[in-house]
Amino acid sequence: MAQCLQSVQEFIQDAFVPMVAVLCSEDAEQVTRKNNLNFSELVRPFCRLTSEGHMRDPNNQIQVIKNLKIHVSNIVTQPPHLAAIRKMLSEVVSVSQPAEGLVANVITAGDYDLNISDRSVKASVPWYNSWKETLTQLNTSKSFTATTPWFEAYRETFFQSMPASDHEFLNHYLACMLVVSSNEPQPVEQFLKLSQEQHRIQHSSDYTYPKWFTPNTLKYYVLLHDISEVEEQRADSVYEDMKQRYGTQGCYLLKINSRTSAISSDEQIPDPWSQYLQKSNLQNQELYEDGTSVVMGSTNTENDVSAPEVDGIDPSVKADGVPNNFKTHPLQLDHPSDPGGSLDALDTLRNAVQITDGKKPSTVTTHGACLTLNDHDRIRQFIQEFTFRGLLPHIEKSIRQLNDQLVSRKGLSRSLFSATKKWFSGGKVPEKSIAELKNTSGLLYPPEAPELQIRKLADLCFLVQHYDLAYNCYHTAKKDFLNDQAMLYAAGALEMAAVSAFLQPGAPRPYPAHYMDTAIQTYRDVCKNMVQAERCALLSSEILKSQVKCSEAATLLIRMTSEDSDLRSALLLEQAAHCFINMRSPMVRKFAFHMILAGHRFSKAGQKRHALRCYCQAMQVYKGKGWSLAEDHINFTIGRQSFTLKQLDNAVSAFRHILINDSKQTASQQGAFLREYLYVYKNVSQLSPDDPLPQLPLPCIQSSATRVFFGHDRRLAEGQKQAATHVSLDQEFDCELSQQWKELEEQVVAVVNRGAIPVNFQPTQYCLNSQTDNLRFPLAVVQEPIIVEVVFKNPLKVPLLLTDLSLLWKFQSKDFGQLQNGDEPISNEKEAHVKATFKNEIVSTEVILEFSMSSEETKLARLKLLPHQTGELHILGVVYNLETVPSVNVVDGTDPSSGIQGEGNLVINGMSVRGRQDLEIQGPRLNNTKEEKTSVKHGPDRRLDPIITPPMPLLEVFFINFPTGLLCGEIRKAFVEFVNVSKVPLAGLKVASKHPEFFTFGSNTAALTPQSPTASENCSAYKTIVTDSTSACTALTSLVSPVDFGMGSGNSSLGVIDIPLPDSVLLPGASIQLPLWLRGPDKEGVHEIQFLFYYESPNKVSQLSHRVLRHTAVICTSRSLSVRATVCRSNTFQDEEDGRNGNMLVFVDVENINTNEAGVREFHIVQVSSSSKKWRFQKCINPSEDKDAKLTSRERGKLCFKATTCKYQEATSGAIGKYTFADIILGNEQIISATTPCADFFFRSCHSSESKKTLTNGYTSFVPARWPTDDVGKVVRKCSEIDLNIIVLWKAYVVEDNKQLILEGQLHVALQTIGKEAYSLSQKQEAQEMVLLKLIRPEQPPLPARPSVEQLSHLIKTSLHYPESYDHPFLHKSLCVVPVTLMLSNCSQAVVDVIIDLRHKAISPETLEVHGSFTWLGQTQFKLQLKAQEIHKLQLKACFIHAGVYNLGTPRVFAKLTDQGSMCETSQQNSMPALIIINNI
Amino acid sequence: QKYPLYIRSIPTENELKFHYAVHTSLDVGKEFVDQRERYLGLLYPTEDYKVYGYVTNSRVKFVIVVDSSNTELQDNEICSMFRKLHNSYTDVMCNPFYNPDDPIHSK
Repeated sequence: MAQCLQSVQEFIQDAFVPMVAVLCSEDAEQVTRKNNLNFSELVRPFCRLTSEGHMRDPNNQIQVIKNLKIHVSNIVTQPPHLAAIRKMLSEVVSVSQPAEGLVANVITAGDYDLNISDRSVKASVPWYNSWKETLTQLNTSKSFTATTPWFEAYRETFFQSMPASDHEFLNHYLACMLVVSSNEPQPVEQFLKLSQEQHRIQHSSDYTYPKWFTPNTLKYYVLLHDISEVEEQRADSVYEDMKQRYGTQGCYLLKINSRTSAISSDEQIPDPWSQYLQKSNLQNQELYEDGTSVVMGSTNTENDVSAPEVDGIDPSVKADGVPNNFKTHPLQLDHPSDPGGSLDALDTLRNAVQITDGKKPSTVTTHGACLTLNDHDRIRQFIQEFTFRGLLPHIEKSIRQLNDQLVSRKGLSRSLFSATKKWFSGGKVPEKSIAELKNTSGLLYPPEAPELQIRKLADLCFLVQHYDLAYNCYHTAKKDFLNDQAMLYAAGALEMAAVSAFLQPGAPRPYPAHYMDTAIQTYRDVCKNMVQAERCALLSSEILKSQVKCSEAATLLIRMTSEDSDLRSALLLEQAAHCFINMRSPMVRKFAFHMILAGHRFSKAGQKRHALRCYCQAMQVYKGKGWSLAEDHINFTIGRQSFTLKQLDNAVSAFRHILINDSKQTASQQGAFLREYLYVYKNVSQLSPDDPLPQLPLPCIQSSATRVFFGHDRRLAEGQKQAATHVSLDQEFDCELSQQWKELEEQVVAVVNRGAIPVNFQPTQYCLNSQTDNLRFPLAVVQEPIIVEVVFKNPLKVPLLLTDLSLLWKFQSKDFGQLQNGDEPISNEKEAHVKATFKNEIVSTEVILEFSMSSEETKLARLKLLPHQTGELHILGVVYNLETVPSVNVVDGTDPSSGIQGEGNLVINGMSVRGRQDLEIQGPRLNNTKEEKTSVKHGPDRRLDPIITPPMPLLEVFFINFPTGLLCGEIRKAFVEFVNVSKVPLAGLKVASKHPEFFTFGSNTAALTPQSPTASENCSAYKTIVTDSTSACTALTSLVSPVDFGMGSGNSSLGVIDIPLPDSVLLPGASIQLPLWLRGPDKEGVHEIQFLFYYESPNKVSQLSHRVLRHTAVICTSRSLSVRATVCRSNTFQDEEDGRNGNMLVFVDVENINTNEAGVREFHIVQVSSSSKKWRFQKCINPSEDKDAKLTSRERGKLCFKATTCKYQEATSGAIGKYTFADIILGNEQIISATTPCADFFFRSCHSSESKKTLTNGYTSFVPARWPTDDVGKVVRKCSEIDLNIIVLWKAYVVEDNKQLILEGQLHVALQTIGKEAYSLSQKQEAQEMVLLKLIRPEQPPLPARPSVEQLSHLIKTSLHYPESYDHPFLHKSLCVVPVTLMLSNCSQAVVDVIIDLRHKAISPETLEVHGSFTWLGQTQFKLQLKAQEIHKLQLKACFIHAGVYNLGTPRVFAKLTDQGSMCETSQQNSMPALIIINNI
Repeated sequence: QKYPLYIRSIPTENELKFHYAVHTSLDVGKEFVDQRERYLGLLYPTEDYKVYGYVTNSRVKFVIVVDSSNTELQDNEICSMFRKLHNSYTDVMCNPFYNPDDPIHSK
């Protein structure tokens, strides 16, 4: 419910006011004309009475009349024409637009905050801004306080233009003013003439239209006196004359124009007329247009909807009058009886209209220029005088008269009528239908019918605010009319009865709403009189609203909407919507819905602004609530309406909303939206071609998914060459992987910078995406392309076509060598308007000519830039033409887009608009500080702002003969080609890998290896020397330092290998091939091996210190051989001559565990080499003579070797730390294990396994620090430790493609402890154990302090030397004494106390039984001290008394470390049973 | 409360109208919210359609719009339709992967 200016009571009172006609003489007209007014206009502002009037009702009660208003208008002899009324109404509504500067009327309804007044709409709808100007142009003078002023304006005009009808008397003329000017020669004659004229109009049959209330109309004679022209005496005398003739009550002398218009025009006098006259101006304008144009409505487009409807709609009105004569329209106020002057008047009006064409209030003509404030008072007084002296007494008299008549006639008439009715009406039904017919077509009652008299009385009472009596009369009349089936009359009576019941002071009875309903229904359905029905509905809804029965009011209003008048329907629907929102519990959704309906009707009625406003208001409810279909519809309509109102920006944004939204529309609809949008857009851009390119909403860019790639186009493969995989846009980003690469890079950089990573180190990122670290500006190299991958998503179900797609950038030139900055930043934004002509000298921009997206597709576009200068580049966005794809199913050649008529005929295949979209990437959300955690903050993302650095070398790497499948431990030779494709020399080439044991570039000793790859085809990867087989079984040794193989030197970090470039520099364009040996990893399965090639520019000036190239090799390995080896101490002292005790037996167990039986036929073990700092193989002591050990599938072979300590360990001090390689050849050629591939891999695998060990059980390295307490364990362990590595070299015969291939390989076994088995494949198990250990006891370092008994028992090695058999003549000598030498050898590095006890243990009887037969002679207990590695011989004597076999191994040896006093001696491991045979001769 | 969780209309050609109707009828449903009965009955008869409403204990509203010429559908049938709807809605809510207030997608 819109808030109205007036209260309901006021409104109803004003709707029904006493009508007064004016007949004016020509001269009088001239007088008023001076003020640009006619007489009725002149008095109109003063028609509301300020003082109270009094009147006596028929019962002589005094009735107070407050605030009475009368309506004064010129006599018009023709009924108004319906079309004109319509036009006028629509004009009134369209002029009345929402006002500026209202206080926002916010209604909070449930969850909605609705801003009904329009400023708030502006606030919530962003594209509203341009409304402001249009609105400020409108309505500057008027200040509306109501929220729907258009509705009130409509209502007011509607009531004023109601044609008088026969069934009621409310707007019939009650009185007539006859106005004559005092400067007329014969004023009295003139009065007579006018009086006759009035009489003629009322009573002759020529004029049917102006209806008169009573037969004897009150005539009021007014003498208009122009002070400025005529002297007063004359006027006074004429007035005296008039008083004589008409009585003082019936005439008046009105003096006006007390100042001449010339003087004092600058004096400000309030202009009460402008308010009233603006309306009439408009009305006249309408009339003028209608009157002159022959074809109705053709000039006014806004009315052409309603104009054709005129003829069919309101037959009752049409029947009454001659429709086409416009001269006598009641509102044609200027020239009622003056056809001659009308043309002039029309002309002036036309001028006025032309000036005020913008529908501004007319301020050109000032009204009342000759009137002073005194004159205003005089006029006011005149009206008051007229009303109180003339009109009210007349009414009083009439009421009395009518009342008397009725009272006298009452009983009779009613009975008579009902009786006659009964009498004549035979059948009820036909009677009724006849009555209805009569009612609708014409009069039922003659004007003086008694039934009408009562109605007349009622109307009179109503007009003078005597509602009590009025109600009674209406009620009675209603009964009468209903009895007579005079439906029209009855409806009128019902309506007024209801109104007067409502208006009764003190409200003795409730408002009979059902009266109204019946009345409306009757008007509408029975009488087909929509105008009356509408009036009724307006009244009723207003009353209901005042009683806060909003829903009833709304229903009423909605019911009144109909097809015949869009304007009315729209206004009523809007009011209904307002009703809904003003209910006690506001119905917001209903409000919105009805607002939409209203908007629809408004647009049908041509009220575009109102329609737009309605939709905007409804939008508030629907927006963002997920009712996407409705939202789209509203947006679409808003867009269309804004477009027709030339508010292009609004239109664009509204359409934009539709397209952005996740819409549920069908494809065809979306296509239509899109076309419309593009069309509107085109218009916008045509209007302002110089504006920066507009932002396009389509297709959506998923900006966070944008990837930036810095890299050149690489050759991928050439023949057998296979390029390094490096990085490409096609790869998925793998966080783990990139972390690995980063670590690798850090490793290399650390190595290059002598162990420290520089502070500003930034890992090289070639491909930036949402997961990479984008905090720093990425570095790009000049003359190398930058590729930006943009993800476009087409949200629509129609295909889109982007043409001339390219990147937008800004470039700040900067020379990094010098300090001075470059000049102004350069951008290609300007050129972007013109298609595809970008300047090439700074940054070449690639243009994608066509990029089509099918419906709902997500597609990547890769856009390339090639910078030619150093500096800072900022990639701003993309620029493209957005086009619709012409639909395929156009059969007849008519273009689908031709539905929208455009000036641009150039567009043939669909719309195309050039625009841009910015790429704005939000960085990751910050989550470090508390502040950042509690608020949502995003870090920067500099993906798109690369810095272009000076040229850098660029490396390409190719692999030749690089295998994909290997056996475990297989050695393969491949070649690598390094190419420098840049214009800058390249230096410092290095490679880093996590798996350094996998490959080698050879060592410095590798000068002899063949360089050409062709020779390596079937040749061995090893360096071999053919040997004669005689020297088999004995080892060939060589001494090698690990430093030669890049190992062991402390500063070189694990896995970073220098690549031996010939000159250490690769010149621009140069390429070099280097051999590369690969060894299959020991574990079977698929291995991904990462190479990171590092290189730098020889002159380090640029910010980019180095560059890297990545390669990932995938190797699939299958099982080959498994080697197990054990070592044990040899008990013999063969090398006694050295005084050393180093003798070991090494057992090597080789098993073929290859599962690929078809491929690999057999393995040959061609050589076994040892490699150790202390030990070396001496010879093969294989029992079998088959030297070339063949192993077919699942076979197992055993080899046995003897190892001794190296001779030259102490001899040449320089050999410390060197490894001795000893090769035992089982085939016919020696593989020199001490040279490149073999030793390389050996050292690498050693290194990596060691490093693994130190990694996993790092505590061992802490032991030396705690020497004093732990030395026991250390020393003790050491004596059982050996550090012998075995390299098993094999050949495999593989059948592949019917060709026999020989594969070679090597396996490493590291033997560490005596007696413990070592495996070639055991790493995995070990690792697991270690992990377990760590998990269980993470804190506590394992205690090596207490060496186990078992370990301690290895301290001393003992052996007995004696003759195996001894002949003794027992017969001669009963005692046989045999000398036995006990050799004690200290295996440890410490001094050991040894106790030897020769006594038999007398504990078990068994031993006594067995061994009791011999005894040791001499000293039976010795205590010795053995120095490190010392061998001590002890001469013992055994005494036998019988011949037989004896076990001499009875001496018990206890040992303890000398300085460990606390420890007790440990029994040393017994040697084997030492049997001696004593023969009796 | 205000968001459509799931909308489906069988004659798709005039979907917009139905959406408006459903949206509008939510207002009417509000008046009935206080009452015990979950089935709200006929909410909003228009010329062509009948709008029925149903509200769950958690104030989720179901609205069914049927052709008013369809006379076979009595209150009972509508009521059972609502029950079924309510059951399936409950099933959806029981889905642990469903976030409350997300639009529901039907397969």
